[in-house]
Amino acid sequence: MGKMKMALEFIKIKRTGLLPAFLCGGLLASMIPVLNMAARSEVYVNLPQPPLDILLDGNWQTMAMLNLLLTVIGACMVYHIEFADNAMEKMRALPVGEGWMFLGKSLVLACMCIVVLLIEIAGLAVCAAVWFESRGIMWTELARNAGYMLLLLLPAVMLSLLVASLCRNMWIPFGIGVLGVFAATMMPSGNFALSLFPFALHFHVLGEQAVELGAAAGVEILALGAAGVATQKIRRWFQ
Amino acid sequence: MNMIETHDLTKSYGHFQAVSNVNLHIPKGRVYGFVGPNGAGKSTTMKMLLGLTVPTKGSFSINGKTYPKDREEILRNTGSFIEAPAFYGNLTGEENLDLIRRILKLPKSSVAEALELVGLTPFQKRLAKKYSLGMKQRLGLAGALIGRPQLLILDEPTNGLDPAGIHEIRELIRSLPKQFDCTVLVSSHLLSEIQLMADHIGILNRGELLFEGPLEELKAYAASNGYPVDNLEDTFLALVHQAEERGWEK
Repeated sequence: MGKMKMALEFIKIKRTGLLPAFLCGGLLASMIPVLNMAARSEVYVNLPQPPLDILLDGNWQTMAMLNLLLTVIGACMVYHIEFADNAMEKMRALPVGEGWMFLGKSLVLACMCIVVLLIEIAGLAVCAAVWFESRGIMWTELARNAGYMLLLLLPAVMLSLLVASLCRNMWIPFGIGVLGVFAATMMPSGNFALSLFPFALHFHVLGEQAVELGAAAGVEILALGAAGVATQKIRRWFQ
Repeated sequence: MNMIETHDLTKSYGHFQAVSNVNLHIPKGRVYGFVGPNGAGKSTTMKMLLGLTVPTKGSFSINGKTYPKDREEILRNTGSFIEAPAFYGNLTGEENLDLIRRILKLPKSSVAEALELVGLTPFQKRLAKKYSLGMKQRLGLAGALIGRPQLLILDEPTNGLDPAGIHEIRELIRSLPKQFDCTVLVSSHLLSEIQLMADHIGILNRGELLFEGPLEELKAYAASNGYPVDNLEDTFLALVHQAEERGWEK
């Protein structure tokens, strides 16, 4: 039953342009390491670290920022269709648990993020194959990093959706999201407490403090998910 | 046997009481007209019955079920259309209804049936955002009628329709209790319109229920109170006017 309710969210995004937007965003982000290597490969190819570490050190900050902006845009889009023609009101008058919509939309965005990360990983793999041919492609490392990147992106997904679910006007959550992303880029990377901000987590790659950050992301996902579901239920008291 | 019963149903926003101690008794298998001027509290009452807003005070039961305990069961058997048509503009009329069908777990044929009922079959493949106002209104009605629910809550369903459309929808609403064996709660700010489709009426003004009962009873009530009875519109206006005066005196 829950699966069916969540699947409805995939039907609702038809013709919204959400998938093309994420595909284009993923392609754009995957082009960053390719263009960077094409333009100045000499800076990177002689570094002693493993290829993936070099590529992520050189490109991940920009790629992560694009992913976060895509997430904010995606969250605005999936809730805009609910508010634009009052569809939300109709859904609330139907026998669907009030939290399912939020969880369903989280699943939709998580799937879109997986698509984006797969494209980006493919871009990194191409770079490793072309410019670090002699060192070989480390598929296991790529897969582990992709999973970790997704885990650290999900709190931003949940927070963006939570904000988008509260505002009828799509531009308000969009503005808040963009501010959140840019605030995260300005946070000092050495400060652990600040790096727990949902939009700041995704800038980290698998490395030092990976377990702590992963655990924090897990807690944030659960907390923001619970807040999202609770918000939908509480909404009735204020209408 | 009543389909809906409310007990001192009240909704306040700060110091403003939108609905004040309303006791409704809506009989099963009838069309119940809910009349009142704009801002009388009709939509707020209907929203409370659908669980869209929480009452400040009082309670209600629908077919013996109570909210929030039986929320899903109440909503499964209630078709609704509140204030304005609600739909996904990026989906076609047919896809919008199919979404509702999936939630209500209805057979696929129910979509075609609902489209046919409101005369939208020729436009089912068109995007809902490209519908005219009247067509959007019909789509909203189809969304309420799909699956032949036991109870229909329709808030000003003829808004935005042309005279032919108003007549058609009015006839449809009138026929629903017999056709689908359901109860209809329909609101309007026009008594002249309600009297053409309702068996029972409730008159609401400034959140207070001024009268409830069959139309004949309203006429008798009006005559006994010295209100005009030749034209129900005048009766309604006199009732509202007197209630307003009482309100000012208070």
